Amino acid sequence: MSVLLEMLENLFAKPFTILYPKEKVPVPETFRGRVTIDDRTCIGCSKCSVVCPVQCIAMVDSPAEVEFKGKILVRKKKPQVKLYQCIRCGLCERHCPTGAMYLKDELSESGTDKEVVVT
Amino acid sequence: MPEVVIPIGPQHPALKEPVNFRVIADGEKIIRLELDLSYSHRGVEKAAESRNFIRVLPLLERVCGICSHSHSTAFSKGIEEIMQLEIPPRALYIRTIIAELERMHSHMLWLGVAAHEIGFNTLFMWTWRDREVVQDTLEEMTGNRVHYGMNEIGGVRCDLTPVQVNKALSRLPNLEERVRKYVDMVNDQETMLIRFKGIGKMSREEALKFGAVGPTARASGVDIDTRRDDPYLAYQEVPWNVVTDTAGDVYGRTRVRIGELFESIKIVRYCLENLPGGQIRVNNPPKNAPEGEILSRYEAPRGELVHFIRTNGTDKVERVDIRTPTLANWTSVAMCLVNQNLADIPVIVAAIDPCLSCTSRITIVNHKNGKPGRSG
Amino acid sequence: MTDTLLLLVYIIVFPGFIFLLAYALFFEFLDRKISARMQHRVGPPLFQPFADLIKMLGKEVIDPDGVDRHVFDTAPLVALAAVMTAFLYIPVTGASPLAFQGDLVVVLYLLMLPTVALFLIGWLSRNVFSAVGGIRAVTQMFIYEVPFFLALLTPALMAGSWSISDIVLWQQEHLWFMVIQPIGFVVGLIGLQAKLERTPFDIPEAETEIVAGPWTELTGRRLALMHLTSDVSLVVGSSLIAALFLGGPALPWTVSPVWLNWIAGFLLFLAKTLAVLLILSSMKVATGRIRIDQLNAIGWKYIAGAAVVQVALVLIVDYFGVAV
Repeated sequence: MSVLLEMLENLFAKPFTILYPKEKVPVPETFRGRVTIDDRTCIGCSKCSVVCPVQCIAMVDSPAEVEFKGKILVRKKKPQVKLYQCIRCGLCERHCPTGAMYLKDELSESGTDKEVVVT
Repeated sequence: MPEVVIPIGPQHPALKEPVNFRVIADGEKIIRLELDLSYSHRGVEKAAESRNFIRVLPLLERVCGICSHSHSTAFSKGIEEIMQLEIPPRALYIRTIIAELERMHSHMLWLGVAAHEIGFNTLFMWTWRDREVVQDTLEEMTGNRVHYGMNEIGGVRCDLTPVQVNKALSRLPNLEERVRKYVDMVNDQETMLIRFKGIGKMSREEALKFGAVGPTARASGVDIDTRRDDPYLAYQEVPWNVVTDTAGDVYGRTRVRIGELFESIKIVRYCLENLPGGQIRVNNPPKNAPEGEILSRYEAPRGELVHFIRTNGTDKVERVDIRTPTLANWTSVAMCLVNQNLADIPVIVAAIDPCLSCTSRITIVNHKNGKPGRSG
Repeated sequence: MTDTLLLLVYIIVFPGFIFLLAYALFFEFLDRKISARMQHRVGPPLFQPFADLIKMLGKEVIDPDGVDRHVFDTAPLVALAAVMTAFLYIPVTGASPLAFQGDLVVVLYLLMLPTVALFLIGWLSRNVFSAVGGIRAVTQMFIYEVPFFLALLTPALMAGSWSISDIVLWQQEHLWFMVIQPIGFVVGLIGLQAKLERTPFDIPEAETEIVAGPWTELTGRRLALMHLTSDVSLVVGSSLIAALFLGGPALPWTVSPVWLNWIAGFLLFLAKTLAVLLILSSMKVATGRIRIDQLNAIGWKYIAGAAVVQVALVLIVDYFGVAV
C-alpha cells in the first residue's frame, strides 16, 4: 500500500533528475577538481613531485624570484602536471608548503589529448 | 531432462563484475556449482611493495570503489600500531563518521540492487535516489563521492567545518524517515516476500562451518562484529548495537542490513554532535616503520576485512596481504545454491553483496604444468 | 464499388493498419512515460518508440551457427500479421464491419500466436538461455490461458452472442460488464498482463536470470518486428478489455448525425483504452517478478478459481432468469 501511495505522489511531482547540461549541478567548495598551480607563490621545492602516487608531476626549468615568509627566494624549477594521468587524490595540495598547488572546485572538462599539461 | 550446463558469467546481466559460475542444472533445479573467481586481478599487493607510506594509501583505497575507506583505514590503523602512534581523538571521530557514512551508502546501494535482481525496478530507483543525499554529504566533507582520500599515517587529511557538520545533521532526519518507509515496503510487498523468504537458507552451524562473515553470518544468528569484538577508532565511546537475525535466508539478510542502516545513522549523529576539538593529525609522524608483523581487522560493509602487514624498517611495506569479506562468503554461496531453483541464482548471489574487485586477489595455477587456469 | 473502397480504407488506413501502428507506438510512449514518472524519473520524449523502431530496422542481422534462418525470418512476421489481423474485429468507432458470430474466439486465437512463435524461436536458437525461456513462455501460456478465456467467456454468456460487436451493443442497452461482473474484470486484467509478459509475469524474458530468454538471438529487423508485435498486442488487448468490460465505443444513447456518432465513439474508445493502460502500467511498476513455479501455484489456485466462481455465478443468474 505504501508503494502505491508513493507511486501516485511521484506521478504528479517534478522528476528528481537534473537535466545536465541545461541545469547545473551544485558543486561544493571542497570538491577536488582541476589541478591549478599559482605561479607567484610556488617556490619549486619538488615536494608535490615526490609525493604524487602516480608520478605525473615533472619539474621543468622556470627561473623566477618568489617571496616566501618575508624572504626573497630564487626559484629554479616549477611543476608540470600531466592532466591525463592525475587521479585527483589531493596529496600534492596537502603537502605543498606555500599553498601554490591546489585543486580548484570546478568540474574539469574532458578531452582525449594524452599530453595536455598544467604548469 | 538431462543435465545441462548453464554458464552464468563471466559476462551476464545479473553480475556487475566478471565471475564464472558453471551451473549444472536438471530442468530448473541446480545440482552442482563450479566457481571460478579472479578475472580482474590487478596486482595491487605487489604494487604496494614499491610505494612509501604516503604514496601507498591512494593505491590501497582503489582496491574497491564502495569500501574504499575500509581498506585505507585498515592499513593506516595497522601501520600506526606498528609505529606506536597516539592518534588525536578528533581524527578518530572523523574517521568513524566517514566509515559509517560509507556503510550507509553501501547498504542503500545493496537494497536497490537486490530489488533489481527480482525485477522490482521501482524500489531500485527510489533507494538510489535517496542514496544521493549520503553522497552529497560525503562530497561536501571530503571532496569526492567515492575514494575519499581522508586517511594519512597519523590522522586525517582535512577537517570538518561547523557549516559542514550542521548541514550533515540537518539531512539525517529525512533520511531516517525514508529508511523507515523502506522497512514498511519490504515487509508489505508480496512479490518481495515470496521471492526472498526461505531462499538460500543457512543454519547457524553451516554459517560457522563455511566461514561466513558480516551480515551474511549475522542473519544466521552468529553474533560476530569486529567493531565490538576488536574495537578500533571511536566505537568504544559511541553507544550502538549489533544487529542479528535468526532467519538465515535472504529476507533475514535484508532485515540485518536495514537494521545496520538505522544503527549507522545513530552513530553518525552521535559523532557529529559530540565531535571533540583538537588536532586532526600527529605532528611529524616517523618516515620509517620499525620491523614487525601485524594483523589489522576492520568491519567493512560486507564483513570482516583483514590486512596482514609485514614491515622491515624501511619506509615501504615488505608484504601486505588482503583478505576481503566477499572471498570468505563465496563458499556459502556455492553450498547454499544446491537444490535451489534456477531463478534464485541472482537473488542468492546478490544476498552476500559480492564485490569482485575486492575478491580478485588470488589466481589458480595448475600444479602439473605451472600454467595458470583450470585446463589441462 | 464504394463499399469495397470504404472497406479497404477501413482495413488499411483507419482504423486499420496505419492507425494501429501509430497508436501502438503512442501506447508504448505513454506506458514508458507513466512508469518513469511514477518512479520519479523523466521518461522518453514522444517520438522515442518510433526512433527505436527505425534504428532497429537498420541494424545488422546476425545468424548463429547452424540455426534455421528461414524460421527466424518468418516467425516474427507471422506473429505481427496475427495480432494486426486480430485488431480488425474489435469495434473502434461503432460495430466492426467485419464482425461475425464467433469473432471473439478468432481474436483470442490470433492473440495466442505470438507466444507460439516466441517458443519456436527459443527452441530453435541453439542456446541454453533461449531454450529455458521458450519453455517458460509456453508454461506460462498454459497457466494463464484458462482463466483468461473463462473471464472473457462470461460477458459472451450473459449477452448471448459470440461476437464482440454484439456484446458492445448489449452493454449499450444495459450496464457495463465491469459493474455486473467485477471478478471477471479483475481476472481479465491479470490474464492480459500475463499474456503481454509484463511484470510481475515477465518470466520468459527475465533479464537478470536468463539474459533475454527467447529474445536473445533476435537481432536487427527481426527484433524490431517482434517488439512491434508486443506493442500491437498491448493495443489489441486493452481494446478487447475495453470493449468487453467497459462498454466499448458506444454511448448509452445514439446521437443523430451518423458522423457525430462515429466521432463520439472514437473518442470513447481512446479514453477507455487509455484507462486500461493506466491500470496495466501501475501493475507493472508496483510489483516484482515471481518465479514460474510460484506462478503455477497462484495461477491454478487463485486466479483460475476466481474465474470458475465467476462463470458459476453467471450460470446461476441465468438459470433463475434474473433480469438485469
